[in-house]
Amino acid sequence: MSASPTLVARTGSFFHRYANPGRFLKLGARIQPWLTWTALLFTLAGLGWGLFYSPADWQQGDSVRIMYVHVPAAILASGGYAALAVCGLLSLVWRHPLADLAAVEIGPVGACITALCLATGSLWGKPMWGTWWVWDARLTSVLVLFFLYLGHIALIRAFDDPQRGYRAAAILALAGAVDLPIIKFSVQWWNTLHQPDSITLTGAPTMSSSMLWPLALSMVGISLGFAAIVVARLRAAVMESRIRSILSSPRRRGGSA
Amino acid sequence: MTHLPYILASYGLFTGIALVLGCGAAFRLKKARTRLAALDRTSPRPSGAAPSP
Amino acid sequence: MTRKSRRLWLIIACIACLGAAAALMLRAFSSDIVFFVTPSQVETKPPPADRTVRLGGMVVAGSVKREKHGETPVARFDVTDGQAAVTVRYEGILPDLFREGQSVVAVGSMQKDGFVASEVLAKHDETYMPKEVAEALKKSGKWDPRFGPPPSAASWNSMTVQDAKKDLSGKNSAASNPAQTPASAPAPAAN
Repeated sequence: MSASPTLVARTGSFFHRYANPGRFLKLGARIQPWLTWTALLFTLAGLGWGLFYSPADWQQGDSVRIMYVHVPAAILASGGYAALAVCGLLSLVWRHPLADLAAVEIGPVGACITALCLATGSLWGKPMWGTWWVWDARLTSVLVLFFLYLGHIALIRAFDDPQRGYRAAAILALAGAVDLPIIKFSVQWWNTLHQPDSITLTGAPTMSSSMLWPLALSMVGISLGFAAIVVARLRAAVMESRIRSILSSPRRRGGSA
Repeated sequence: MTHLPYILASYGLFTGIALVLGCGAAFRLKKARTRLAALDRTSPRPSGAAPSP
Repeated sequence: MTRKSRRLWLIIACIACLGAAAALMLRAFSSDIVFFVTPSQVETKPPPADRTVRLGGMVVAGSVKREKHGETPVARFDVTDGQAAVTVRYEGILPDLFREGQSVVAVGSMQKDGFVASEVLAKHDETYMPKEVAEALKKSGKWDPRFGPPPSAASWNSMTVQDAKKDLSGKNSAASNPAQTPASAPAPAAN
């Protein structure tokens, strides 16, 4: 316990280096083009390869190509919510101002990617399983994640005093993070219609490398794209808050009066 | 290609969502930047620009 | 302890409690969370005939019998989990992925003369391979899809379509590798 205050303080100071919105704007402007262009390059390469050049699956046929969209979307749906939870922690413990703005901006992007994951999963399930939707543990836990995103989006904007909204949404983000391990392990803990993960940390991927490569490319590309969109929205949000503070500053009001 | 409608719908959805989110973010950023630049010109040294100690 | 670290520990404690509560709840409801029951579960504790259950397992090789009653196709097949097998009767069109050795989930109820399904869902596994690679594995005798999952992924996941085509055209080399039935093939129980 004696080490904890120094660790806490150190973590805090590390994040406070980037808590400064001015420093974030500078950093964001520098990395934005790199993020955007590499994201476009990797996504186009991965999806193009997946759609036109990768082989069809021996039993699923060409419908396996939906995987190159569905799997990155599924990983980012969980990853985005994990990012929301980290923002919530930074907000509650260190009162990190940028974390609150980031939580506002990550929510809608994460909800969109979760909706994409659910929709592409449905489009994949109909021809393969023979049904658009089943209430199995994996599908249901991802649907719960989608509603957690919607709740977060609504809660963080629900209060007149934004600080109260940030606090409530941070608590929701942290509590909802319980759903993430449930999503991850649902296919191992219970019988599900959804198949287990093909790519694991422990074993060889049960996927031909001719499908793994385009999947890896599109996964990197779509993740970078997610980051690029969040960084762009966050930069815009910082600028907008600066605009608001300029417009409401007493000096300006005095000057214009 | 088998199951073509399902594949096209999936990729189409992805493209649509990516376009909406990407263009939305780009426009919002551009608007905020021009607005901020215009304000900076009218009130040269806003208090928000100075880094906090 | 500073205020920040107190807040951090408080949040960690709350998350731990919440996680424990969620884990206990999921444990308590785990029999309701499972999407399907296995044939051995059905065998040991047959559900009442008026209850809809989902029965999941592998279609036993050689057990599929397709008939036509007028216009509607009727299929009978055995579903196994390796320990027990249940005969399923289904009226209607089976999904594209349905084959011997495929995992399926049959939705229906247990009747006196077997399981009567109103819907059959195909459950595909987590292996993805091109058709040529699957053919090459079959030809070399390493895998028979009718008897279960493919061999360990490391033995085939780096095989390219070109390699597989070469294997297929040079069929004679496969002859030296005597066909062996996969160890995972379960013996279908007679019922």
